[in-house]
Amino acid sequence: MTPSSSYPPAAEVKGFPQETAAAAVPTQAAVIPALSADPLDIVGLLSGAHHPGAGAVVLFSGEVRDSNRGQAVLGLEYEAYAPMAEKLIAEILAEAKANWKLHIAVAQHRVGKVAVGDSAVVVITASAHRSEAYAANRHIIDRIKHEAPIWKCEHYADGTKEWGNNCNCHSVTGDIHKHIYESGQHP
Amino acid sequence: MKIHVYAGLKDYFQPEFELREEIANTDELRAVLVKINGNAGPLLSTCRFAVEEGFIDKNFKLNAHDTVVIIPPSSGG
Repeated sequence: MTPSSSYPPAAEVKGFPQETAAAAVPTQAAVIPALSADPLDIVGLLSGAHHPGAGAVVLFSGEVRDSNRGQAVLGLEYEAYAPMAEKLIAEILAEAKANWKLHIAVAQHRVGKVAVGDSAVVVITASAHRSEAYAANRHIIDRIKHEAPIWKCEHYADGTKEWGNNCNCHSVTGDIHKHIYESGQHP
Repeated sequence: MKIHVYAGLKDYFQPEFELREEIANTDELRAVLVKINGNAGPLLSTCRFAVEEGFIDKNFKLNAHDTVVIIPPSSGG
């Protein structure tokens, strides 16, 4: 094999003498806005969600489907009561970070029009091991969907539209504001 | 009292409006709103209310200067 000048000297690779991984990665120093009117930068969010103590990073992206309950969907429009949604999402993330000992917990939700295939919400969790990152991520997205004052309006191909109605938890819990995960029936 | 509504409630009310009636609590507020637009009744019965970015219940004493946000069941994600 012919040595390539683009390969670093072996001594540098073995000892990582120039910079450590901890120094090279951001550790969520920047505050991520909970709501965004612009398309979500999934790659950018993920690239900022690495931590030297985290062996597991889980990213969930909730994306717009092209159909719902048999109807063709052209796109969604999200509206939020921003001050309360931001406050609630911050509380949900802080609580999850404490409960699962996460190194990083990030969530960002779209407002405005979102096209089919685009991301409407992203949740990223990073922890020492995968079980905590997965569990916390699921918990965070469930709570955001059910508790944050954010609403979606589905725009259908037939020209009609409909607000909300993506949560049928009350059919199980018997309470419009009580969700399955709150009643211990979460899978 | 200023009222802000969101999502499906905007099919029945302006996004922001003001009520001059004396309204003591959320039960009375809901009744006033149903009088204004009876078609909103079923949706209003599922809504929660918030003042100063916090949910309130029917025991919360409303004041004329409050801004009340009416919050339909969330449907984000």
